Amino acid sequence: MKGRQWLGTLALTAYLAVIVVPLVWVLISSLKTSPEIFASPWSLPAQPKFENYAAAWNEAGLAKYFWNSVMVTVGSLAVLIPVGAMAAYIFARYPFPGSKALYAIFLGGMMFPNFLVLAPLTDLLRRLGLSESLLGLGIVYVAFSLSFTVFVLTGFFQNVPTELEEAAVLDGCGHLMVYQKIMLPLARPGLIVAAIFNGLGLWNEFNLALVLANSESIRTLPIGLANLTMARQYQADWGSVFAALVIVMLPAFVVYWRYRERIYEAMLAGAVKG
Amino acid sequence: MRHSKGRGAFIVAFLSPAVLLYAVFLVWPLLQSFQMSMYRWRGVSRNRKFIGMENFQNLSQDPVFWKSLQNTGMLLVLAGVVTIGLGVLLAHLTDGAGPVRKFARAIYLFPQVISLVAVALIWQFQLNPKYGLVTDMLFRVGLPVRDPGIVRDPRYAFGAIAVAFVWHALGFFVLLFSAGLKQISEEIKEASALDGSEGWHRFRHVTWPLLWSVKRTAITYLLIHILTVFALVFVMTEGGPDRGTETIVSYLYEQIAKNGQYGYASALAVVVFAVSMLASLAVLAYFRKDPTAAAGARA
Repeated sequence: MKGRQWLGTLALTAYLAVIVVPLVWVLISSLKTSPEIFASPWSLPAQPKFENYAAAWNEAGLAKYFWNSVMVTVGSLAVLIPVGAMAAYIFARYPFPGSKALYAIFLGGMMFPNFLVLAPLTDLLRRLGLSESLLGLGIVYVAFSLSFTVFVLTGFFQNVPTELEEAAVLDGCGHLMVYQKIMLPLARPGLIVAAIFNGLGLWNEFNLALVLANSESIRTLPIGLANLTMARQYQADWGSVFAALVIVMLPAFVVYWRYRERIYEAMLAGAVKG
Repeated sequence: MRHSKGRGAFIVAFLSPAVLLYAVFLVWPLLQSFQMSMYRWRGVSRNRKFIGMENFQNLSQDPVFWKSLQNTGMLLVLAGVVTIGLGVLLAHLTDGAGPVRKFARAIYLFPQVISLVAVALIWQFQLNPKYGLVTDMLFRVGLPVRDPGIVRDPRYAFGAIAVAFVWHALGFFVLLFSAGLKQISEEIKEASALDGSEGWHRFRHVTWPLLWSVKRTAITYLLIHILTVFALVFVMTEGGPDRGTETIVSYLYEQIAKNGQYGYASALAVVVFAVSMLASLAVLAYFRKDPTAAAGARA
């Protein structure tokens, strides 16, 4: 058994290397000059070239893409979480004829790939005057994130004990007051899970943004990065491309490191539903 | 809440924003996809012409469509076998105490939460023929990569996309199988105490069958998420060389963004929708019954 255990640790170390080495390589390359990058993939920079980050952020326009991404992600969450929570609260606590069917329709959105509706969606946004705008993209993000959000939050509201709200009703609280004063605070962990998980997903979203918001001034970070790479390859400014890659991954890494237990939770909740 | 004063109004007020957004921007376009698939319609013009099944007939004779469907299917099988196999193995390996295992559990999901564009670039750069890390390693073990490099070589481009996808998705499967193993660990102990099995024998006859519901989730997840490889294809290969990495979504994107063929693209979407629904149903049917129930051990 000792030999087997040793073999297991070795295999696990190999797996970790496959994850970590590319990331460290990108980080180191982001501090090298172009000639250094070409000289050897393993070498360290003679002197860390932090100017690569300035070049990516300012000249390559990453700053603008970054703020576009912040705006559309935060803006979408600011609408998504309240709207999703309200609907989830009804599904969890206010059954009415047809509510089960409606809930099922909401969950159906988790099962089907969003790109299937790209053609009609593009047309719809154009007619509403929302094409090529961050507002239009944000609204679409809210609609497409509702399924998962409603699903997760319904679970949280269902788990709040009923005694609390019954006591509140005896005290003369109305529907709205019970929701605001009792249910929302108790469902806070659920709201946080939903916000983190959706936030990461929207920060990285590519398919919809590419089709619905691809003008230079409103590009989000993933679209901007993809375009930037295609353009900069010909200018041979590789260091700044690697720096851009680090800038894109950094926020995700910070959120992941801080909240990874919650992310695991949310992923399993989304996966183990049927 | 049972008391009924203002109940109906409250339900309507709380539900309508979500229902409205969901209906207008998701359900309605989905229904329209079906309608549009029977029209000839270029996105920029206003005239649409009803042409019945013509889009579908054209699709059935479109070699690129078949090629992209085949590539998507191949990726699904390839990535499915690798991620599920490695997922189960790594779920076993990451379980337990010790700094390496602890670090593994802290880090393994990170490739899943970074942008697919970043994943695509990380692999494109590593495979770059001039300065790539992987290129250099292959060179050192006597496998020199020649121009135009792995990503642009028709023989290897598809493999490069598959590797990038597995790198991105594997963590989720480790997470999934870890949770599955934890859930059934008591049953494993009981069952193997009865028949005295251990090691590979125990895995083959006790653990693997007990994981049936996790396997179902894993395959369903793959079915939905294999379509997200679009970002990888778009950044790494643009469907080339020679359509060798064209997938259903990259072809759909080409029809909308480059050709403006909304009708044809919708027909394509409808076919994919139908195929993925059938595949989901097949998975559900296959895993419908708990295969361990007969033996008396329920998962």
